[in-house]
Amino acid sequence: MSHHLISLTILFPLLGTLFQSISSPARSRWIALVASFAASGCAILLVLSMQTQTADLQAVETFPWVGSYAISYDMAIDGLNALLVLLIAILFPVLIASEWNQKSGVRGLHGLFLILQTALFGAVCAQDLFLQFFFWGLSALPFYFLVGIWGGVGREKASFRCIVASSLGNSFIFAALILIYYSVDPHSFSLRDLSGGVLSGKVFDFLGHSLPISGVAFSLLSAGLALRAPIWPFQGWFTEVAQEAPSSVFVALAAGTVPVALYIFVKVCYLLFPQSLSYASNYIMAVGTVNLVMGGICAASQKGLRRLQAFVCLSEVGLILMGIGSLSSTGVVGAVYQQLILGLSLAGFGLFSGVISERTGHAIFLNQKGEKTLGGLATIAPSMSIVAGIVVASLLGFPGFSGFVGHALIIIGSYSIHPLSVVIAASALLLASFYLFTMYRCVFLGKPAENFEVFQDLTLREQACVFPIVCGLLFFGLYPKPLIELIRPTVLTLLSTVK
Amino acid sequence: MSEFVLIMPEIFLALTLAFIVVGEVTHYGEQVRLITLTSLVGLAGAFVQTIILYKYGAIQIFGGVLSIDGFALFFKLLFILLAALTIGSVSHTQEITEGRRTEYCALVLAATLAMCLLASAADLILIFLSFLFLNVVSYFLAAYGRRSVLSTEAAVKALVFGSVASALFLYASAILFATTHSLNIYEIHKYLASSSLSAPVLMTTFMLSFLALCTQMGAFPMYLFLPDVLEGSPTPVSGFLSVGSRAAGFAIAIRFLMVVFAQPGNIRGQWQPLGQLDWTEIVSGVSALTMVVGSLLAFRQKSAKRLIGYLVVAETGFLLMGLPVLDELGIAAILYNLIIDVFALVGSFYVISFFYDELQSDRLESLQGMLKRAVAESVCLVMFLLCLVGSPPMPGFLGKFILVGVAVRHQRPVLALFGIFAMVVSTAAVARLAYQLMGRFQESSQKPLVVNFSRRTFLMVLVVPMALLGIFADLVFKWVGQSLGFILW
Repeated sequence: MSHHLISLTILFPLLGTLFQSISSPARSRWIALVASFAASGCAILLVLSMQTQTADLQAVETFPWVGSYAISYDMAIDGLNALLVLLIAILFPVLIASEWNQKSGVRGLHGLFLILQTALFGAVCAQDLFLQFFFWGLSALPFYFLVGIWGGVGREKASFRCIVASSLGNSFIFAALILIYYSVDPHSFSLRDLSGGVLSGKVFDFLGHSLPISGVAFSLLSAGLALRAPIWPFQGWFTEVAQEAPSSVFVALAAGTVPVALYIFVKVCYLLFPQSLSYASNYIMAVGTVNLVMGGICAASQKGLRRLQAFVCLSEVGLILMGIGSLSSTGVVGAVYQQLILGLSLAGFGLFSGVISERTGHAIFLNQKGEKTLGGLATIAPSMSIVAGIVVASLLGFPGFSGFVGHALIIIGSYSIHPLSVVIAASALLLASFYLFTMYRCVFLGKPAENFEVFQDLTLREQACVFPIVCGLLFFGLYPKPLIELIRPTVLTLLSTVK
Repeated sequence: MSEFVLIMPEIFLALTLAFIVVGEVTHYGEQVRLITLTSLVGLAGAFVQTIILYKYGAIQIFGGVLSIDGFALFFKLLFILLAALTIGSVSHTQEITEGRRTEYCALVLAATLAMCLLASAADLILIFLSFLFLNVVSYFLAAYGRRSVLSTEAAVKALVFGSVASALFLYASAILFATTHSLNIYEIHKYLASSSLSAPVLMTTFMLSFLALCTQMGAFPMYLFLPDVLEGSPTPVSGFLSVGSRAAGFAIAIRFLMVVFAQPGNIRGQWQPLGQLDWTEIVSGVSALTMVVGSLLAFRQKSAKRLIGYLVVAETGFLLMGLPVLDELGIAAILYNLIIDVFALVGSFYVISFFYDELQSDRLESLQGMLKRAVAESVCLVMFLLCLVGSPPMPGFLGKFILVGVAVRHQRPVLALFGIFAMVVSTAAVARLAYQLMGRFQESSQKPLVVNFSRRTFLMVLVVPMALLGIFADLVFKWVGQSLGFILW
């Protein structure tokens, strides 16, 4: 089956970047949007054309790129990455549309979003480690400019910390890659050749000590990804970006790159290091729990929407890590599913908080004295408060909303293996309902704050932006079956190698 | 007679040079444009001649003075390409006025001639003479901004370091000639392989010649003048020297060290150090120090040209990683990186030169807000620099990957670690520059710079091949691999 949909998905945004960069600003917006939509259309077609009940790679496209170093252009889709393809397909047209009226440098902003879309699609679909790292590295650069140019007052420090964290993370992954590449004979980057414990038992010599390759490469890779996804205590740059970046950029970071980082962790670690993974599963679980709890505690003390969403992301990442570390099929299916939901709900959160801070000039809902600075938006802006309600309910995992499926699967999957951490996690989730409801109460309920009577509800364009996200959140919550069926066979195959 | 066919590229270059000098003398001040065109045509001719030479295979001519092999031809193509790009960019800069463009073209051609000779020299005397030839022309090029104090300082520093390096190389040659009674490096190798010298003598010879080569490459103990030269010279000259004189250094370093101080090992495509002297440790130490020092200092700079100068030093350290592994792959990686450097460095200095003409300064703070005023140029500058430091999506990353990989494969994980560390620091240094370019993007109201069509075209001439080098990396690797296959060891 060769319909080249994956290549088209990757190519369209790049072509869009080229064309929009040479056209006038008024026209460039449309070009960007059309390119992004075209890519998303291909991606959605791709997911719809997938066969369920199989763990095989589908829509494979492969040809050698750098033959002398066994690097190939190898793209495919399976149950593990299908959901992320869907997520990116939903996310980026929305982001481009949400920055429609950007005053300065609209072409640059849209161009960077398009490059990001290409990079994330590529990183998700690549079945060759080098190719994956290539796209993953590409996805780091746009953020530097997105934060540095369109960020708030503290953008210099934020963008600098962002680029340092990501280049440090990339260098760790780079080291892991070289170790992996030279440890197998013939040297290879193909995930297929490397899978199935080829690396286990191999050692390399470092300053007179012989170290196991799979353990070292696993640690390097995890550290490298932890610097790109927010893992406590390395989340400083992330919260700073959340504070300074425009909300669309933060959405691209939290809802785009973070799930992709988690995906790469699952994909590469389950395929390449099954032994190290089963050895480290307790640590992953512990890191996940700590992340969940610390994210919750920090979020509870926030008084602004921007940092709050960063810490919500942190604690959701913790939950997904627990699912990954549980090594049970239910938990891992839940974790993979929750990656999509994390992306969608954070996108929704980011968009409505972006609208609020655009209208009021700030995103702080409680001032230093604990008095409300916003409030009563439910009567003034009903459609916005409905959207926010759905997002909050989904983040909390209310039955009927999509978060419920993911949360439930992760909790059920982990409980039989690590009851203690699940108990801790459950209390952290209770804490989440405290801080998210506090936020909702302060922003939307009660009497409108003084000096705050004129507030426009979501415009038609903004409603169109949040529409796909809200639809996704509701639909995947009420009817998760097709997606779960898509994920399950792949996850079971992956797990069979670990045990 | 047939031997002259094999030095046709050099003859072509020399004739073009003579033609330009005569043209300058007889038609002073008229038809300046014609001079640029003539040089480009001459270079194109030399380029074609070099490609034709590929069919003759590896051969030594003039009694072993010159070695015409794939390695030499590779470097000749590289130098001619570099010269063409440098001369092509000169009509866009104001630092070299129209009246002095002829001299500039003549000097660049002379330097190219010297580099081409250096690339195929296999005789100690010829190596020394082409060294001097190249250095003398470089002083003139560096001092070309006559009114600028920095330029004069650059030329003086280059002169001092160049003389010291020449002296060191001469001492090393003297010791080699005295002990082996031969000037041809292949003969010297045969002698050294059959009857080994005492370790101290070999060590002294190695250190003397290696330090001389370090000066040419800009490696650790002798790098001090390089950033000054790159900062002080007129910007197009910086672009030319930053690649050209370093690449010439690498050409001669690879040939000289691998022939004189190494011998083929048991496995095909690998070598081992000659005799008792394990010089690979010294080279890897120098490599690690060069890249760490270069990248850390680059991070602290306040002038864009100087920042790139230190990045160039770090790049030299990186390339040196390919040498001590004594492996064909390592040398192939050096060559691949040098091709990338041609586009990345000429490109960076080309954009900087444009900014310099507009702002009369290359201080980082004066570059503020250039992203808004000249979008394409700034984006390209950042791309060139990221390519230079080997940031992932750029083709430079592939080159760095191979270098670090070769180091890991040959049990030098510490060197590889230093390399990765230097990559991170240099990326941060580039990020500092990029941040200044962004400036206060939203508030700035300075009007955009006017960029004409020919500038944009020239920028494309640099960017597109750079991208192609990454996309068709396989073909480039094949060519590079072939270039190694020819060497007479």
